[in-house]
Amino acid sequence: MKTRLASLIAIVLMMSLLLGSCASAPTPAPAATEPPAQAPTKAPVVATEAPATEAAKPPAPEYIEIGGSIPLTGPFGSLGNLVLPGYEFAVENINANGGVYVEEYGTKIPLRLTYYDDESDPTKAVSNMETLNSEKNVTAYLGGAGSSMHAATAAIAEKNKVPYCGISFALYKIHQQGYKYLFSPFPKSPQQAKDTFEVLNSIPEADRPSKVAIFSYSDDWGKELGDLWEQNAKDNGYEVVLRAENPVAPNNDWSDAILKAKAAGAEVLLTMPIFPDGSGMFKTMSEIGWAPKFALVIRAPEGLNWGESMGTVGDYVTIFPGWHHGAKFPGVEELNKEYQAKFDRPADLLTGPAYACVQIVANAIEKAGTLDRDAVRDAMAKTDMTTVIGPVTFNEDGTGNVLNPLIQWQNGKMELVWPTDQATADFVYPAPPFEERNSQ
Amino acid sequence: MRRLQLISILLLVIVLAGLPQVIKKDSTINLLILIFLYIILATGWNILGGYAGQTSLGHAAFFGLGALATRMLWFKGFPILPCILAGGLLAVVFALLVGGPAFRLRGVYFAIGTLALAQILYVTVGNIYPQISALPVNELVSYQITDRYYLFLGIAVFAVAVAYFLVNSRLGLGMMAVREEEDAAESLGVSALEHKLIALGVSAFITGLGGGAFAYYHVSFYPQFPFSPAWSLDMLTMVYIGGAGTILGPIIGAVFFVVLKQFLVQNVGEYHLIVFGVLFILVVLFLQGGIISIWKRIQLARQNRSKKVALKLSPAEKVDSSVLASGQGKENHY
Repeated sequence: MKTRLASLIAIVLMMSLLLGSCASAPTPAPAATEPPAQAPTKAPVVATEAPATEAAKPPAPEYIEIGGSIPLTGPFGSLGNLVLPGYEFAVENINANGGVYVEEYGTKIPLRLTYYDDESDPTKAVSNMETLNSEKNVTAYLGGAGSSMHAATAAIAEKNKVPYCGISFALYKIHQQGYKYLFSPFPKSPQQAKDTFEVLNSIPEADRPSKVAIFSYSDDWGKELGDLWEQNAKDNGYEVVLRAENPVAPNNDWSDAILKAKAAGAEVLLTMPIFPDGSGMFKTMSEIGWAPKFALVIRAPEGLNWGESMGTVGDYVTIFPGWHHGAKFPGVEELNKEYQAKFDRPADLLTGPAYACVQIVANAIEKAGTLDRDAVRDAMAKTDMTTVIGPVTFNEDGTGNVLNPLIQWQNGKMELVWPTDQATADFVYPAPPFEERNSQ
Repeated sequence: MRRLQLISILLLVIVLAGLPQVIKKDSTINLLILIFLYIILATGWNILGGYAGQTSLGHAAFFGLGALATRMLWFKGFPILPCILAGGLLAVVFALLVGGPAFRLRGVYFAIGTLALAQILYVTVGNIYPQISALPVNELVSYQITDRYYLFLGIAVFAVAVAYFLVNSRLGLGMMAVREEEDAAESLGVSALEHKLIALGVSAFITGLGGGAFAYYHVSFYPQFPFSPAWSLDMLTMVYIGGAGTILGPIIGAVFFVVLKQFLVQNVGEYHLIVFGVLFILVVLFLQGGIISIWKRIQLARQNRSKKVALKLSPAEKVDSSVLASGQGKENHY
């Protein structure tokens, strides 16, 4: 009996593996400028293939389906929970005006948002994205949060040829894969690095710092941004006195790097720690007594818990979070009011860019005049509109030309300090030493 | 194995092999791929944890090594099947290297030791390979999920078959003897270390193959991701949900784990983890042998009932019934 079973299994295995292995090794990616391969796209549920005329428009679908896989739990859960309300408020407000006008059907159609929690697991995110495509037939994907999640989901969007709008990731490398369906109205590493020195150069020459310390992570974004900071510092005549690197971990020991930076006379700190690590870093700096005149700390101080847990030690730290509720653009005031009513605080940093994503998708559908995904993708590429995050256009690689405001923690509050025409408070420079802050 | 069971398995495999011709939705094929992946991982873990009794919390290391080796070789232009095989073999080499020292530890210390090893690899791989590993755009355009489906199906059938033949062999009996009482097994001439090493090697090979298939399936991920400790915990969870030390248990556990989670994610929203957690606790509390124990309990009840009936029968009929019952008992072991 065992022999028969073994033969049976061997046959099944051979057949399965042969069928499964009918693929060659991957070949290098084509140049990013090549047009995407044309493939048939899925038509909306009730759309017909016949060209519509004024006299005989096809019946409109009940909804325009949009959706995304969002990390609402797990390591990126805190980010995902800030992104989701932005999507929800935007859909609610667009639908309150009847929805999005689609020329093909000659009527406004409401948006329907479907989202699934992926637990910050890229494999589950891939599964969710496939479900949204197959089951919901989404016209556009909305992204989740975090570079590793976007890396997985943007690739699925490319595979399924569905336009994808994602925020909450600054990693530029994702945009260098040659993806045609990925759009991100969010500042990327090259812009962050360039703007860092634009801010520093705006300080009067007599007071301007010259010595820079960079504390970066050894992951891809850490290396990418660290290298860009280093290059931009040299290009702008600044001296990088220290580049320290640690793995992405919640409790790195930065004391050695802090002592070296202090000894080298560093006046500027550029870093991107995650929250607990950044908190530990600044507490150690306070104990050692090194308060750089300018500290740009991307990521860790972006949550409200920074102000609550750090007190005056966390003050004067600056961030490039992508948006601030104090931005002076149409729709921000209304968004803040709605957010205040629901969450008892003005809109969070990621809520604005998320809201803008839905605005961009809705605008693209309206401009395309159809729910055909390729047409919507082409319309998104030509985006030129003002959203709650300001004017938005896209480059060929899908990166957005967007405002990159600088936020500074002042007296336990996040204030928008740059560019000056958007500022809600003056930029405080230099940051006072830690021991002087309690007496202020 | 009875003829009926054999035919059922054959039919099931034929149906599964034919599904992509009927189902055109990528999401359903994708869900089946996830089920096969988790069957592979749970079955692999079960050989060491369920049959040899060594609870490992570090199987993500074997999964990750399989994925890493496969992805690197495949991206260098080698055909996928030898790459996956190389991934599995690399996992075996690593398992045998660490197995000797690791098996000096017993019980919870062994579990913690394996967890530490996997964590070391997780951090090291993250430091050495921080860049995303993404399929090139031209590869994405020609990505065929059906190829992946057959690959996962094939490896899942292979994993279950290996587990079946292993536990029905002398080696498997040795492993179970070690699981039940290591010192007693040694006193009977069963080398505990040898049997545990073989179980670890086979388990690592299957898990490594799963990693290799994962590397072929996933469009874009960080090389560190398959080394994440969550994979090890998922394997353990599925085996205990389904039933450790059985062939069917890990399969049931994997189906339960994937399908229920997907259902809850799509229907319960943000509460899905709480609901799943409660269900998991209920299974652990009330079904200590896993879901498969329900079937065993039903069979036991049926046997008890047939014994009661047999008491009322003639002596000749009693003999026949007891022979039948003992025969069923043997079959039910697996």
